[in-house]
Amino acid sequence: MGKTLFEKIWDAHVVVEKESSPSLIYVDRHLVHEVTSPQAFDGLRMNNRIVRRPDLTIATMDHNVPTNDRSLPILDQTSAIQIKTLEKNCKDFGIKLFDINSPNQGIVHVIGPQLGITLPGSTIVCGDSHTSTHGAFGALAFGIGTSDVEHVLASQTIWLEKPEPFEIRVEGKRKKPHAVTAKDIILSIIKNIGTAGGTGTVIEYSGEGIADLSMEQRMTICNMSIEGGARAGLVAPDEKTFDYLRNRQYTPKNYESLVEYWREHLTTDKDAKFRKTFTLHIDNISPQVSWGTNPGMTCDVTDSVPSSEDYSNGDENQKKAADKALEYMNLKSGTPITEIKIDRVFIGSCTNARLEDLIEASRVIKGQKVSENVRAMVVPGSQMVKKQAEEMGIDKIFTKANFEWREAGCSMCLGMNPDILSPGERCASTSNRNFEGRQGTGGLTHLVSPVMAAAAALEGHFVDVRNLDLN
Amino acid sequence: MIKYERDNIDTDVIIPGQYLKIHDYNELASHAMEGLDPNFHTKVKEGDFILSGKNFGCGSSREHAPIALSHSGIKAVLALSFARIFYRNAVDGAFLLPIEIDENTYQRISEGDEINIDISSNEIKNITKNQTYPMKPFSEIIGKIIEAGGLFKYKPD
Repeated sequence: MGKTLFEKIWDAHVVVEKESSPSLIYVDRHLVHEVTSPQAFDGLRMNNRIVRRPDLTIATMDHNVPTNDRSLPILDQTSAIQIKTLEKNCKDFGIKLFDINSPNQGIVHVIGPQLGITLPGSTIVCGDSHTSTHGAFGALAFGIGTSDVEHVLASQTIWLEKPEPFEIRVEGKRKKPHAVTAKDIILSIIKNIGTAGGTGTVIEYSGEGIADLSMEQRMTICNMSIEGGARAGLVAPDEKTFDYLRNRQYTPKNYESLVEYWREHLTTDKDAKFRKTFTLHIDNISPQVSWGTNPGMTCDVTDSVPSSEDYSNGDENQKKAADKALEYMNLKSGTPITEIKIDRVFIGSCTNARLEDLIEASRVIKGQKVSENVRAMVVPGSQMVKKQAEEMGIDKIFTKANFEWREAGCSMCLGMNPDILSPGERCASTSNRNFEGRQGTGGLTHLVSPVMAAAAALEGHFVDVRNLDLN
Repeated sequence: MIKYERDNIDTDVIIPGQYLKIHDYNELASHAMEGLDPNFHTKVKEGDFILSGKNFGCGSSREHAPIALSHSGIKAVLALSFARIFYRNAVDGAFLLPIEIDENTYQRISEGDEINIDISSNEIKNITKNQTYPMKPFSEIIGKIIEAGGLFKYKPD
């Protein structure tokens, strides 16, 4: 029987395999950031261990860093300590660090691909659940906790029970692809499979709807695999993948011979078996807006806020969850999504802060102004994205429209740096999680695409971006 | 037993992002479950359990989540299902026992019930109601890691 792409990558990385036991898997790249690594390095010190492969370990700081002027000191002392600790750990253990002043600093999942560190067919781990992003390149990439970070630092391997392959086919063509985006595809998928639909699996995304996407759009899809419960999601590499990684700063010297190998080997065999398959037809999908407190609680922009009865379909637990979500989100069922007024707009995060995201959002706002009731910010995913955007004049489009244009970092995705919502503030956000308090205690998050966020910033409420003239 | 009748309790409500900078585990614990139940730290007692629905611990890979619960006194979380990273972190660091239960057990255990868990016989005893329920047995390797006291103390055969 044939093998799936995931199974081929898995087989190529098995160090030890025994029946009915987890396998020991070799790790090709280990990405490290300031929040989930300090205890891991402490553990190494306590046991007199070294980092097994510092040359395969790359660090940056993204979660904690303020996104204002980088010449100013970091006021939050605990953040400053965590950042200093990472500097010391990288120095002590010989790990390459892109620090806060590096032109390569940025969200770890944005810089990996940009620097050519993320490669097809490789295994990539990081102490962050959105490591699934790198799967867009045909890598097996997943998030781990701090104990596993320590294990990988010490051994360059990880124990893992083999997940099962889950095929998600995306068929058809989007109407108005500038308005209906990769974010809308992945939110539609999660709405359908649920937040635990992918538990225990590695998703392989395929079909015309995926092949049509750019690499940056595929990253948006793979990024949110974890929100569907899967630790990893991947896309078989194609010429777009190989072109994207060519001539990056850390692209291997023997790149063309690697490409030849990848072309031949990194595919799912025709007779391979998936544990399950889900198909999404995208011909008629709409821009998506989340209304609740998990990414599965999402609807079309043309819908109204659902009632808990409609959402739950008779499931008592789901009904309770929807009631609590509506209460937390301060929403009444039946309210048209386009009548929901917002206070804040956040364009950023590892889901949607790459150059294409910023370009698409800038097309919506060009020559216009942010609604006077809205505070809007753009946080590029990396300093390199920021620089490229500035070279194109995109920063000016945003600042002229009264958007704040900030330095790279995770920013308002997760409420652990100065960029947070105040209690009760409602935000159109291009990030990945709308959990209670995710963007700050009492903050209300609606997940949307960059174009939807940009349009909402101008109008002060959600609008159907298909009605805008974006060409 | 502290019961939360809901699915998808995520790591952001178990320990909100702003506390991930805290290195003192007891201080971290004082903010456990703050996003969902600000009174959690006043009602939790050493040796307590949490009971919850499906997909407990979904979201972030932060190991702070099982650490915060563990240092609050929580010895086990009983849930209909777990998000994989949370489950793994709980076991690897030997912070708490993630125990999968069935719907019937979930319905029959109430807030405040006194519970004993016997992982050698895979039984949950409800002292208050004088009932016994099954738990899903740990896989062999998970059982061994738990027995050893975490990933770093476990020595493969």
